[in-house]
Amino acid sequence: MSAVFDIMLLVFLIVTALAVARAKDLLGAAILFSSYSLMMCLLWQHRGAPDVAMTEAAVGAGITTVLFLVAIGRTTRREK
Amino acid sequence: MKKAFVAALLILTAMPLLIGVAALPPHGDPDTPVHTHISARYLEEGREEAGADNIVTGVLLNYRGLDTAGEVTVIFTALMAGLAVLISHKKQPEGDAAYDAAEAAAEDAPVRAPVSPVVSFVVRLLAPFIALFAVYVIVNGHVTPGGGFQGGAILGALFIALTIVLGRERTRTLMPRLAQPWMQGAALLTFVGVGIVGGALTGYFLGFPADASLHLARKLMMLVLEAGIGLGGAAVFATLFLQMEAE
Amino acid sequence: MISAVDIRNAVTVVLAAVGALFFLIGTIGLVRLPDFYARTHAATKCDTVGAGSLLLALAVFNGVDVSTLKIIALAGLVLLSSPTIGHALARAAHRTGVAPWQARKGRTS
Repeated sequence: MSAVFDIMLLVFLIVTALAVARAKDLLGAAILFSSYSLMMCLLWQHRGAPDVAMTEAAVGAGITTVLFLVAIGRTTRREK
Repeated sequence: MKKAFVAALLILTAMPLLIGVAALPPHGDPDTPVHTHISARYLEEGREEAGADNIVTGVLLNYRGLDTAGEVTVIFTALMAGLAVLISHKKQPEGDAAYDAAEAAAEDAPVRAPVSPVVSFVVRLLAPFIALFAVYVIVNGHVTPGGGFQGGAILGALFIALTIVLGRERTRTLMPRLAQPWMQGAALLTFVGVGIVGGALTGYFLGFPADASLHLARKLMMLVLEAGIGLGGAAVFATLFLQMEAE
Repeated sequence: MISAVDIRNAVTVVLAAVGALFFLIGTIGLVRLPDFYARTHAATKCDTVGAGSLLLALAVFNGVDVSTLKIIALAGLVLLSSPTIGHALARAAHRTGVAPWQARKGRTS
């Protein structure tokens, strides 16, 4: 059961990573990257590293997304 | 042709990685060097020796304190590099005038839609609880998962949310101009300070006194380190956000 | 003979089932509904009621404990933040001129 959960998370992780790489819409890419961080956070927690999971949740899913959004707001939304 | 080249390159990169992963010992194997070498010592004596119930914090700040100091330096350097990039492209007058000019530019920015009163109310309602949680995470990093980095990120996020909702006029008081450089360098300065104190006590930079009688000193040093990392991290995020938003 | 534990388990199961149901409906809505506003509406429901009642189920299952207090605080946070996020999203969309879907015009999105 635990392994199944891990595999599901890993599949989601790979899917979101590919989606981030392929997205032409940078805003969408930032949001997808945030969900990537969320998956990573769950994975850390599930593999028994709550400290890293907390960092990932706060920094990865929280603050970097905000900084990405601000950066997109100052530049363009579309990849050229 | 190009696609075939990319595919070949990918396969060439992936092969050694996959072979390497396949050669790793099974997860949780007790005979691997990780488990036989030094972890046992950490787990058995870490609580007493390092002075933290959370072994991760003990390893981060005590056993591997110098590595964490390096990490903090990296974060500080990243902030400086980010600021250099963000500031360099606009010509600015020197000194106080520069600050005023930046503030004026921020005020002249195109007017955005006013912040929704609902969002404003909820953020203001939750702000004290978020601040409390951040401090809890920083201070309680001893006992439960958490610590300076995590709590600092939460504090930084709170600052960003408050700045969005209240405007930079109101949150400027949280990061007064004179205190800004000290707050940005807080983590590094704390490490240097505690390192020197540790040096006075033990003879090694960032050394933690090992005697049982100095248990309290160990705890205090760790708390100060955690608080410094938390404040420094929050200031780094807040500064980056403010600089990126300015204009 | 129905014991207190049975009642607690039953309440837990009911609450968790409600939560899972709302998540399912919300996710279907997120995929199927025609425009941004309707999808935001579905997603907000699924977060608020779904996550709220799942957390309540956990709190009931856990019994009287310090962790239960934390779970209840979390549920309160979800109940506050999730509708706010839905509101902020819809408001931002409205202000930037996202047109609502209209049946007559056919599919606009």
